[in-house]
Amino acid sequence: MADLTLDHVSKFFDDGGSKVVAVDDASVTIEDGEFLVLVGPSGCGKSTTLRMIAGLETVSEGEIRLGDDRMDNRPPRDRDIAMVFQSYALYPHMTVRGNMRFGLEESTEMADADIDELVEETSSMLGIADLLDRKPGELSGGQQQRVALGRAIVRDPEVFLMDEPLSNLDAKLRSQMRTELQRLQEDLGVTTVYVTHDQTEAMTMGDRIAILNDGELQQVATPLEAYHRPANRFVAGFIGEPSMNFFEMDVQGDELVGDAFSYDLSAKSAEAVEGSERVTLGIRPEDVEVIGDAAADHAYETTVDVVEPMGNENAVYLELGGERRFVATVGGMRRVEAGESVVARIPEDAVHLFDATTGETLQNRSLESADLDAPEANL
Amino acid sequence: MSVRDDLAERVGVDLEAIDPLRVALYATLVGLVAFYLSPLESGLMTALKTEAEFATSPPFVPPTVEGFTLEPFGVALNTLSSAILNSIMLAVPATVLSALFGSFAAYGLTNFEWRGQLGVVALFIAGIFIPYQAVLIPLSRLWAIVDTQELLAPVLDITVFSAQVPVLGTVELATHPHYASIINLIITHTAYGIPITTLLFRGYYKKLSTEMLEAARLDGASAFTIYRRIVLPLSMPMFAVTLIYQFTQVWNDLLFALIIIPSGSGPAAVATIALNELTGGIIQTFNTQMAGAFVAALPTLLVYVLFGDKFAKGVAGNT
Repeated sequence: MADLTLDHVSKFFDDGGSKVVAVDDASVTIEDGEFLVLVGPSGCGKSTTLRMIAGLETVSEGEIRLGDDRMDNRPPRDRDIAMVFQSYALYPHMTVRGNMRFGLEESTEMADADIDELVEETSSMLGIADLLDRKPGELSGGQQQRVALGRAIVRDPEVFLMDEPLSNLDAKLRSQMRTELQRLQEDLGVTTVYVTHDQTEAMTMGDRIAILNDGELQQVATPLEAYHRPANRFVAGFIGEPSMNFFEMDVQGDELVGDAFSYDLSAKSAEAVEGSERVTLGIRPEDVEVIGDAAADHAYETTVDVVEPMGNENAVYLELGGERRFVATVGGMRRVEAGESVVARIPEDAVHLFDATTGETLQNRSLESADLDAPEANL
Repeated sequence: MSVRDDLAERVGVDLEAIDPLRVALYATLVGLVAFYLSPLESGLMTALKTEAEFATSPPFVPPTVEGFTLEPFGVALNTLSSAILNSIMLAVPATVLSALFGSFAAYGLTNFEWRGQLGVVALFIAGIFIPYQAVLIPLSRLWAIVDTQELLAPVLDITVFSAQVPVLGTVELATHPHYASIINLIITHTAYGIPITTLLFRGYYKKLSTEMLEAARLDGASAFTIYRRIVLPLSMPMFAVTLIYQFTQVWNDLLFALIIIPSGSGPAAVATIALNELTGGIIQTFNTQMAGAFVAALPTLLVYVLFGDKFAKGVAGNT
């Protein structure tokens, strides 16, 4: 058992003579037994990163190490990894048993009886023991998913790689498998790299999440840290649903002036934006307070445009200064009607400030509990 | 009540509901079927007639009781039996080899990435369009220079190509130096079949899931193991297609056989050449010729029957 290290890893593709950068200088260490989620929009390089770890793509620059062993120059079969694919990639002509045996037959010298025992054991752990003699074509999507997992688990690898393994399942099954997969990984204690574009999966499953955009690693942090202390505007906008509201504003002394409204800054915040001419003010929808009194500070008169009731909460789309729309979430039982005039307060302690040109975080919101490193403690 | 209504009532059909267009359609279809099948039917009828009967009745009319005979089939079987055996010895290896090599080539050209790959694919495709006639002279020169019998002598004595069969003892399948030319023909047909079988397999392998092949690589399988344990079992429908196609091609080929098998090579003749022996010299014996044609066509029919369902799957592109 060892840590998996990506050391300044880059991947370039040649596109008709011009160099396309798929992954740009990514460095991250995944600790032994850790569940790391690689998340980002499509085309951000997360699958390429995973495929480089698997050995299905070559590494253009940098090193990948397992413990102290360099592994990026080894063929996939010698890397002691197992991968679960989005399409499950089962062998259609083999039974479930055959699918699960295949890797052991090809990569180990195990005796037939031992392989059989291991396959039976793993299949009962996954609840697919009664499907062993069926072929993949006769199984439902969820069952195929389990077989694909089983095929990876029997190999008992150092590292599991998962490439959007749940995205072909329907919503209900997906959330069920999410929990199950998490429990499984915890029980097995195998280092796991999990690729997804779904930020719910990223938030709920990972010990840490690595957010990628345009081939560049934006932030590697615990889910809560990424949520509350985003490293830049991209992370702030990507993590969280509905997304954080952003307002582009000019810095004028200790005041931010935007198209629709101005925002007074405290001395501390004013210091943070010093040196920037233009900043982006960010506020999470749940931090926008919808109140009745316009006299409070940082409160603005708005009109309700659309209300999306979710049951537990309502997403309220507000219009400020005629057209600037932003979202606030309020309790599900609170009645807010479209067309209604309400006052939205943007409390300063919940405001994030980003440099408008670089996107770098200038100041994150203040939090009473600063312990974001141990997510379990906060849940 | 008119006669027409009366009739309609008796047969229980509403004559008004019959669409004249539909009647015309079926009439045309029946006509076309008759048009296509009439040569076959005439051939079969001719094969079942005595020569005297054939001379006095139109070809498509069934034989009368006196004119009916199975003798043409007897003659045809007698004359063709050794040639059919030769054809089987030719067509089975040539078909299997070209399908297998085509499958190998397609796997290497489709499921792996290497520099210059597309150029090689282009060469394979070009190979399909080389007309047989263009290579007849080079081919006959080649096989005049290469002495297969001599080359194979250390490993295989073609002149006494015998096999131990239980009960029957030693059966000599071939005892003539000309049998070397059947091996020449096998090699030629295999080579000629490879481009088209490669193309067929390539189309099929392109549709194989890349993730599945990657999964096999990660499972520790080598390129050859992946072929043997995953790609080969999944290509059975396409093997049926290529086997049927190539078998028919090789079996029915006359041109290469005439060029590569030396004339007057009697015992080494394949079915298509031997058919000529049934013409009967100056007086054409149509009945034995027709019977011979049916006998010679039988193996290809059998192959269709045996692989037909897999063939349909392969053509439909099901994996």
